[in-house]
Parts: sequence; structure tokens; C-alpha cells
Amino acid sequence: MSKDVNINVHHITRVEGHGNIVLDVKKGEIKKIQWQVPEAPRFFEAMLRGRHYDELRTITSRICGICSIGHSLASLKATEDALDIKITEQSRILRQIALNAENMQSHILHVGYLAAPDLFGVGSVFPLVGSKNQDTLIKIVKLHRISNYMSDMLCGRTTHPIRLVVGGFSMIPTEKQLLKLKQELNNIIQPTKEVAQKILDVSDKLPNFTRETEYIALKSEKEYPFYEGEIASTDTGVFPDYKNYKKIMQEYIVPQSTAKYAKHNRDSYMAGALARFNLNSDKLHPLAKDVAEMFKLKAVCYNPFMNNIAQLVEFVHNIEDSIICIDTLLEKEIKDEKPTKVKIKKGRGVGIVEVPRGILVHDYTLDGNGNCTKANCIIPTNQNHGNIQKDMEKFVPEIIHKKEKEIELNLEMLVRAYDPCISCSTHYLDVKFI
Amino acid sequence: MSKSNDVKIITKKELDNFVNSLIKEKKFDVVGVKSKGERFVYGNIESSDQLRLDYDVTILPPKKYFLPQYEKLISFDLKNPLKSKNNLDTSERIIIGMHPYDIIALEQADIVYLDSQQDDFYKKRRENTIIIGVDIQNVSDRSFAESMGTNVTKSGFDLLLTKIAGRYAVTIGSKKGSNLLDKYAETKKAEKADIEKIKQERDKIAKSYKKEVKIKGIDDWSKLLSANYNNAIWEEKSDKCLECSSCTMVCPTCYCYDVKDNVSLNLENGERIRTWDGCLLRDFTEVSGGEVFRESIRDRYRHRFYRKGNYLPSRYGFIACVGCGRCGTACLPDIADPCDLINDLSVFGGKDDPNKFFIKKKSKSQEEGIIHVPRSATIKQVEKETENETFFKLKLDDGKPLNHEPGQFVEVSVFGVGEAPFGISSAPDNTPIFDIVVRKVGDVTSKLVKMKKGDKIGIRGPLGHGFDMKSFEGKHLLLASGGTGVIPMRSVIQYLTNPKNRKKYKDVTILYGCKEPSQMLFSHELEDWKKCPDVECTLTVDQCPEGECWDGNVGLITTLFPKIKLDEYDSENTIAIVIGPPVMYKFVIKCLQTLGIPDKNIWVSLERRMKCGVGKCGHCQINGVYCCKEGPVFNYEKIKELPEAFE
Amino acid sequence: MKPKVAFFDFASCEGCQLQIANLEEEILDLIKIVDVVSFREVMKEHSDEYDISFIEGSIMRPMDEERLKKIRNRSKTLVAFGACACIGGVNKIRNQWSSEEVKKEVYGNSNLEDNKYFDVYQTKAVNEIVPVDYYIRGCPPSREEIKKVITALALGKKPDIPNYPVCVECKKNENICLFELGKFCLGPITRAGCNAICPTNGEPCDGCRGILKKPQVQCVMDVLKRYDLTYEEMKRRALLYNYNEEDEK
Repeated sequence: MSKDVNINVHHITRVEGHGNIVLDVKKGEIKKIQWQVPEAPRFFEAMLRGRHYDELRTITSRICGICSIGHSLASLKATEDALDIKITEQSRILRQIALNAENMQSHILHVGYLAAPDLFGVGSVFPLVGSKNQDTLIKIVKLHRISNYMSDMLCGRTTHPIRLVVGGFSMIPTEKQLLKLKQELNNIIQPTKEVAQKILDVSDKLPNFTRETEYIALKSEKEYPFYEGEIASTDTGVFPDYKNYKKIMQEYIVPQSTAKYAKHNRDSYMAGALARFNLNSDKLHPLAKDVAEMFKLKAVCYNPFMNNIAQLVEFVHNIEDSIICIDTLLEKEIKDEKPTKVKIKKGRGVGIVEVPRGILVHDYTLDGNGNCTKANCIIPTNQNHGNIQKDMEKFVPEIIHKKEKEIELNLEMLVRAYDPCISCSTHYLDVKFI
Repeated sequence: MSKSNDVKIITKKELDNFVNSLIKEKKFDVVGVKSKGERFVYGNIESSDQLRLDYDVTILPPKKYFLPQYEKLISFDLKNPLKSKNNLDTSERIIIGMHPYDIIALEQADIVYLDSQQDDFYKKRRENTIIIGVDIQNVSDRSFAESMGTNVTKSGFDLLLTKIAGRYAVTIGSKKGSNLLDKYAETKKAEKADIEKIKQERDKIAKSYKKEVKIKGIDDWSKLLSANYNNAIWEEKSDKCLECSSCTMVCPTCYCYDVKDNVSLNLENGERIRTWDGCLLRDFTEVSGGEVFRESIRDRYRHRFYRKGNYLPSRYGFIACVGCGRCGTACLPDIADPCDLINDLSVFGGKDDPNKFFIKKKSKSQEEGIIHVPRSATIKQVEKETENETFFKLKLDDGKPLNHEPGQFVEVSVFGVGEAPFGISSAPDNTPIFDIVVRKVGDVTSKLVKMKKGDKIGIRGPLGHGFDMKSFEGKHLLLASGGTGVIPMRSVIQYLTNPKNRKKYKDVTILYGCKEPSQMLFSHELEDWKKCPDVECTLTVDQCPEGECWDGNVGLITTLFPKIKLDEYDSENTIAIVIGPPVMYKFVIKCLQTLGIPDKNIWVSLERRMKCGVGKCGHCQINGVYCCKEGPVFNYEKIKELPEAFE
Repeated sequence: MKPKVAFFDFASCEGCQLQIANLEEEILDLIKIVDVVSFREVMKEHSDEYDISFIEGSIMRPMDEERLKKIRNRSKTLVAFGACACIGGVNKIRNQWSSEEVKKEVYGNSNLEDNKYFDVYQTKAVNEIVPVDYYIRGCPPSREEIKKVITALALGKKPDIPNYPVCVECKKNENICLFELGKFCLGPITRAGCNAICPTNGEPCDGCRGILKKPQVQCVMDVLKRYDLTYEEMKRRALLYNYNEEDEK
């Protein structure tokens, strides 16, 4: 096949942040395959320098609009780890529900608004209005609304949460509010099943592509982990020494990207819903397991396009998990607690959570006055950039015979499957200063 | 059967049962004082356990149940806005725990909101609310209610609870109260000793006040403030003012409000919302043209104290401050406390006429209900007069005549955008048809000038005091209009030049000046006016730019006055009317005085930000006077003393 | 004729655009009253012809400046959307150090000289590069305010944005003043319009909607003394979003 292909997708649509896909083929020979990240670097770690411990959460929340709850929680965990602060069980469960809410909101936004249009053959969700699929769109919007309602109630605001503070919550929800939430969650189980069925009907459009790679996520003995767990890899197993996360997540710079790349056991690895699924699928709640079954999704799955399906499965799991959490809280009776008191001390803390796109690490060092002297963040999307590049390199030869428009669409779908959060990934690097 | 002022005794347990029975009754919305963190608030209670009758003061006063922070006045469908719906709140409410000072504040609000122009919404809520007051058990650090005489009250409640030795005395205040008590509570008759204990308890609490205001009583407050309008203290204190208006928000006697239209995203329906406003905010007196009538923070800071301690006392006979101390707590730099302010001012002393900032005028009676919901009117004619001004002939759809006086105004509603005041430009003629002229300056006017014949708008009015034409009969009339001042003046001119009326008046002199010939309004009618017998009509323009045609006088309107012969002029029997931009008054009035016209013969029409049009929202205040109620027409002799009139 | 609307983002977290998606069912109302012709985050279609553009994010590089100027030329109305676009937001925190210093710290000695992606200068708000017609402030802006502005633009009237401080809305919500709880709150000098969401949830105002007017010095001193707060606490909070305004203090 001696054709020329020239693809230059500038600022790919339907992903968060700015990324470019470049493909250059001359007379059948692949000259250049590049995943470029031109997003403006914002130098967040630099901005954390000298800030007081109680401001770190506010600033790092602004790394990303979609995972602001995740960043806030990773930040708080790191701060609390550095200051040796323990939070109550009630706070821990509330934080878990908040993280569930964010996961739900982000996943349904991604699967419904960003990825599904490709499966329905449209450029965005807007053309679905007035079409035969309008019903599905309305259901998707409802699922999104309830997810936001959840985090609005728990955190005060879903984007850039307010109530999440060092030591706990600045305000606790009432019993009435939690009961209402439980009712809403029960109400969306049926629409979720219907949306899943609709996606199943068009899921044959997902390419059947596999590439063996490493998957890194949190793993836990007691549950499918989001808020707590240990770093684990499908290649090397569990790594309990969380403060030395750099041994697993090794970042490096490449010129075509303002974001860094990462590797561990191989040239690249993947983080995200598929990684979590591959490591923890046995811990899914029953309905979520059913949905995975529906799509024939089994661990270990090496098809990055199935990340979209793993997100759908997690959405269902989050609903079930939140209901269980609410029941636990109400059994023990909600207490109007104040956050744990802080005693300032020198220290270094690391906070790791799973956010929608994968494993997130915040690492802070605080001095004796409670100010941050050093900070580092490992963003899930950073960890995926390398994998995206490698996937493209394997995928392109497999589809090179297709029409140029189709190749372009397939490459975009590949990038979208990772649900990259590019603004997050260009926050920046670790800072050393005196 | 209990009667008013009867006193019963109720045990703590029985009181709990009483409260819980009320809560169980589905039809009642039971509100009580409960704790919020370290402070207290009025809120719905689910059991008597939540009641904290031992509180010192709540963050917000109970005014929020009668004048809510955000209140939907009307909802409308943009395709058919004039069929708007009134959203009266009909829930039956019981408020438990009101302190005497808050009860007294509510009675003051009654006088404001239930006068001849009743506010339906307030009225409905007041009628449907039962007030169970409680005597103060713990005095707030910042309260000075005792020295204001508001720490105890004999009226204003349906029931009043007083804690005496572990039980409660219940004073019956009304039939509603006694019926409620009889139906839901077990009580005993009070003994003489109990009555004595109530007095002892009140006396004991009265002694525990930390703050005391040195000047007491409405007379002394008013006189002290009248004497100190230009005291340096206003500048000193207002320097620190953050203009946050927290003081007015938490105040039980602050009632000013703003009204806005909100439209939903689908552009199909909307609502008109009333919300609390504060005179400390700069925009409070801002009109669409950009003018701000109380600009400096010093003036706004001072205004609040005068409204409470001088203007409202002149108007209603009460000091609009009940010494609750909320503003003292809320003000971060601690400059809002009236007790501290009056005490500081008292050092300077002085007494002056307490009513010098107020003009007493008989109120015109208006129909109930129209103060919020407009009547429908159809645009009969639209004509562009000049580049910025458009003429409208309107017809009220219900066929009733407007019945206005020249000089009055109407509030025109463009649903979804807002409401704006316009001077009525035609003379009253017993028909439902009248004229207005719209100058495009802001949102409402911009929308209006795009409307066409057959479109519908909302009208409230006529509002305000106009010119009492009957009282001018037998006199000469000198009418001086500057710029858009000719719009309301046309109503007077049409009235005078009507053959039915003309003979009742002597000479009529019309002077009209505007910036340039292209801005002349009513150009075709001016000729008619000139042709009228015994009407002298002179026009002038400030300047005549290249290419424009003008053969009349060029110069400011003041240049027309020297032409009027002094000794031929019967100035004692001449009524002068001046309407124009703020800057014009000073100069024209001087000319009139030079002609020998006495101040009491001069009438002016002033403009302010007029929103409600019925003297309630507070935006149009000129010192103690409402431009929409005592004005917009004022007698110069009376208004000239008010410092804010011609600044 | 429905106005054509386009959304663009620069250096931002995309939270503001997410708020549009967060309008939920009302998005269907939105597309009824305006024509969304470009919204990279949720749609593939794009057009270079639009009446109203919404700009999220701050400007940090010459390449961003060029892109912004092109957008300004194509728009009849340009709306700065979110704190980063309106006042620079958190992105301005790094203006305390020079761009060279920050780049060196972050990227070390990597050869980025000719790489235009890394050619950053001090963070700028949108109105420092092009004229802005309207502002939707906040981090993120409230959905209510977004609806208000879009509705006003669709109706052809000026959006009604408060010119008074957050305290007005905070008091209406009957919150306990955060100063009484020992925290320094920027509410008294920050523009309202967010319904005092942070104080209502127990956290002091950070000033993300922009400062209205600098408070008089004696007033600040009095307040710090009355509530037993330190100058340091005040400075820290003031510098989160409003770096340039307060640096003279």
C-alpha cells in the first residue's frame, strides 16, 4: 500500500485540554506518529511554594475543573499525612461518597457527552436532540445531574469543592439530606441500565484493538478502591511503600509535550478505569459485575477502547457503593462534627487517591511554620501520555489501509478512550528551593 | 374563655406539649428561635426541644417572614405577560419567641406597609401569622433596648411568654392567641403573686443592659440630629465604612427593597422578584442615565442615621431603631451602632427644628393591589420625535380613565426587562388614553423604543403629587422647561391651552430651551401653542450646529429672562413652574427671584430613582421626603431647605 | 436570528466550561436560544463565524495572544468567563516570581529555548490583551450567573451584575460571620453575585470574583484588632486570587 496520509488534528475535540495528533505517511512508510501536548503549562507546583497548609487544597483544586474533588482530597490526604492528622470514620465515609460522586459525574460526562457521539455517528450530543436517540440523551443528562447534586450537597459545590478541609468537613449534611440522596440514587439505577443497553447496541463500533501493557492503580483487600488502597501494578504486584511512589511512577520530559510522560516496568503504562478494573474487578458490587458481564469485559483486558466500558461499569459500582455508605452513616447516626484540630509540625506527606482518570499523587513537605517548601504531583493523564503514543504506534499500521477520514476518527477515538485530562497534566514538575 | 390581657400560667412540660401539638397540626408552619452554632436564628422547628427561648438575639430579625429576602411578586409568560399571576403566600404561620423589640419593629413595619397604599404580600403574611412573643431572658451585649423603651411591650403579640421561677406566664394579647391557647394547651389562671413576679423579672432583666443611649426619646433624637447635619463626625466615621450594607440587612426596622425581572433560560417565562436593598450601597440611588443622587460614602453613612432618627420620626412618629444591637455586631469596623453614634454626637449637643428635613403632605388614596401588579395597556401610536426620544400614545385596556393630575407619573413595565418611571405628557381628559415620551438611556427604555403599535405593556399609576391646577386659577403662569423637562410640562400646557380651562388663568408664558434644534420636542405642537391667545411662547437653543436650521433665540434658557419686562410683571400673582435637568434649577430660580416672584409661588418637578412609586422601597428619598410620594412636584419654598434637593 | 456563540479556553482548568455542561437539562434550553457553533470540549464541529465568544483561561504565551486577538476580531461581543480570564485567577500567583525563574525551577536545564510551547511570560487576564465586553466572574462562576448573562445577551439587555460586596448576600443567607469564627474573610470587599457560596458552606471568601474597592487602612487595622487576626492571615487570603491589587500592602 503506497499511499500518502497526512493527519494533523490540532486541538482534538471532545477531550479536556489541548492535544494534537500528527500522522505522516509517505508512500506507505510511516514517517511520524506523534501525540503532542501543547497545553499552556501553569506551574502549579511553583505556586504552592511558601503557601500555608490550609491553602494548598484551594490552589490544587484549580489544577482541574473535572477532578477538583479528587485533587482536593489528594491534597488533603498529603497535608494530613505530613501533619499526622487522623480524620473520623464519618469524614472518611463522606469523602468516599464525594469521590464516588466525582467519578460518576466525570464518567457519565465522558461516556455520554464525549465518547458516545462517536458511536452514534455524530459530532456532539447536540444533534441527538430531536433524533430517535433523544431519549437516551435525556437519561444521560439526568444521570449527570444526580451526580452533581450529590457532590453539590456533600461538598457545597461540585467544581472546586468548598466543604473539604484539613481534618474533615466544614459542614456536615443532615440526615434528611442523606435520605433524599439515597432515594435519588435508587431512582437512577433503572435509567442507568437503559443507557448501558443503548451503548451495548452500538458498542460494535469500538475497535477490536489490543496491546499488552502494564496497568497501575490502587488495590485494596476490602473494596474496589478510590479513596484508600495501595499502589499496585499488573506486572509487579502491590507496592506498600507509598512514600516512595517515584520508584513506580517515573516521569520524564519529551519535547513535543509540555506535560511529562511516565514509565515503570515497560516503556509506558496505563492508569484509569481499565487499570482499576484489571486489578480489582472481583471487588465490584453485584450490579456493576452484571454490567461488565453484559459487555464481556473481563480482567485482564488489553483493549484501551474498553476503558469507556470500564467507566460505565464503575458508574454503576459508584451508585451501589454510595448507597451502602449512606446506610452505614445513618446506622451510626450523623454527628455535627468539627474538623480535627491541627497541630503544626514539620513533615512530609503523600496523599494518593483514584480519580476518574487514574491514580493521583500529591506530595508535600511542610516546614515548622506550616508552610509548604516542596511539592510534587503525579497526574494520571501524565502517566497515560506514553501509553497513548505507544498505542498509536501499534494501531496505525493495523488501520493504515482505511480511508484517511476513518483513520483520523479512529485515532481520535483512541485518544478519547483514555479520557485524558490534559490541563491537569500540564500543571507542572517538582520544585526544589531553599 | 380567656380575654386579652388575661394572664395564664403554664408549666414547662405543658409548654412543650403545646408547642408539639402545634407542630403536629399539619396546617401550621411552626417557626421558633433555635440555635445555629454559637448564635441563634428563627427557623422551622420539628420539636419543642429545639426551641431556645433563653436566647439573646437572632442573627436576622423576624422581618424575613413578612418581607422575605427574595420574594416572587409576579410570574409571567413572556408570550402573554399581562396575564401575570400574583404570588401571595397563604401559609398559616406561628412564630414563637419574638422579643419585645422585634414585636415593636413589626408594628412600625405595619405603619409603613399597611398605610393607604397597602402592600398585599405583607398584609397577607401579617394576617396569617400568629405571634407568640417571649420576654427577654438574656440581654445581648450590644443591645440598648432598655434605654429605647423597647425591652418590654404591652401589645403587638397574640401571646407573650414570661419565664417566672421555672414556669411560664402567658399574657393573652388577642382573640387569636386566646383561641390557640384554649385549643392546644393546658393552663391555669395566674395568681396575683404571679403577676408581681412578671414585673420583678422584667425589672431584673432591665438592669442587666450593658449599653445605654444618653439621649432618650423621639424629640431629643430628632432635634440633636437636625442640629448636626454638617458635623465632622460623619466624615470621620464613614472613612472606615466598607459600604457592605450589613447594618441594613440585619436591621429589624430597615425595609428598603429593590425589584428586578428575571427571565428563565428558555426565554419563555420569568418572574418579578423583590429583594432587600440597602441605602449604604452606591447603586441605591443610581438612575439609568448614570446619575447617582447620593454619591459620597459620607452622605450614605449619615443618611441611615437620619432616616432612623429624624426622617421617619417626622413622617410616622416613631424612632426607627429598637436598640436590638444587631448592626453593632454585624458592622466589622464597628461604626454602625446608633447607641455609640448618638452618644458621640451628644457631646456636641445642639437642638434644631426636628422636622426641617420633611415636608408634610396629604396622601392621595390609591386602590389596593396596584402597588405591585400592573394594568395592561396597548400602544396606540409610536412616533420618533428626535434621535433619542420616542413618543407613545397608550390606552389602558380596562377602559378606565387614568384620572391623573399634570405632573404625576406612571411606572411602565416591560416584562422580562423591568420597570421605569415616566412623566405623563398629556393633560387629563377622562379617557383611558394618555401620552408618554421615552428617552433611550437603559435597558427598559431601549426595549420600549423598539416596540410597535399594538404591543402591550404594563402600567402602574398615576403616582405621586402633581400640580394642583385648581390652586393656580386666577394667576399668571410662567412655565420654564429645559430639555426633557418639557415632557411633563406638556401636560400642564395642554391643560392650560384647553379652551375649557384657558379663561380660568391669566397670562401664560412658556419658555423652552434645549441643547440643539434637532433635540426640540413636540415641534409641530409648539406652533399651536404660539397661536393660542394670551400665550407667550419663546424657544431657545444652547447652540446651533452647522447645517441645522434655526431662526429663534440662541443661548441658555436664562438668557430669555431679561426680555421679560420687570415692572409690567405682576410677580406676586405669578406662579412659576420649572422642570429640567438638575443643573438648571439653581440658575432659573435665581432669574425668577430677580423677577420678584416669591419662593412660595415657584413649583419644581424633581427626578430621583423611583421604583415602587408609593413611598416604600426607599430609593427616591430626598432627605426625609419621598420624591414619588410628596413629589415629584414640590413647592420651592418648602423643598429648598432640604440639603439633598438641589446638590 | 439566534446569536452564534463560541467557547474558547486558554490556560485554565476548564471548570468554567464544565459549568455549561453542568446546566444539565437546561442545556437543551440553551441551544434553543443560541447557536453553539464552537465548543471544543464537547463538540467536533467548529465554525469561525460567531457573534459572541466566551473566553476561559489566562494568557501566558505569545502564541496564545495571537489566538486571542483572532477571536476578538471575529466576535461582536467577547465575554471573559471565569476568574482566570477576568482577573488572572490562581494563575497569577506565579507572577510573584519571574517567568525565567519559574521555568528554570520547573524544567531545569532542558533546552526549551526555541520551543514556543514553553515561551511563557507573566500571566495576564484577557482584558490585558483585548477589550472585554462583559465579565462572568468567579472560580467557577455560578450556574445562575451564567444563565443570567446568557439570557441578558439573548434579550439584548445589559447583564445585571452586582456592584456591592458579598456581605449583602451572606447576611441575607443568615450565615454566622466568619470573622466571629476567627477567620479572615474577603467578603466585605469582594463583588457579590455568587450568593456567598463559600461563607454559606463554612469557608471564608477568597475574593475569586474580584475586589471592589481597597479598604481604608485604619478600617483594616481596626477589624484585625477586633477579631484577633494577624496581618499575615489577611495578606495570605488576599493574595490567592488578587495578587496585583493587594501587593502594595
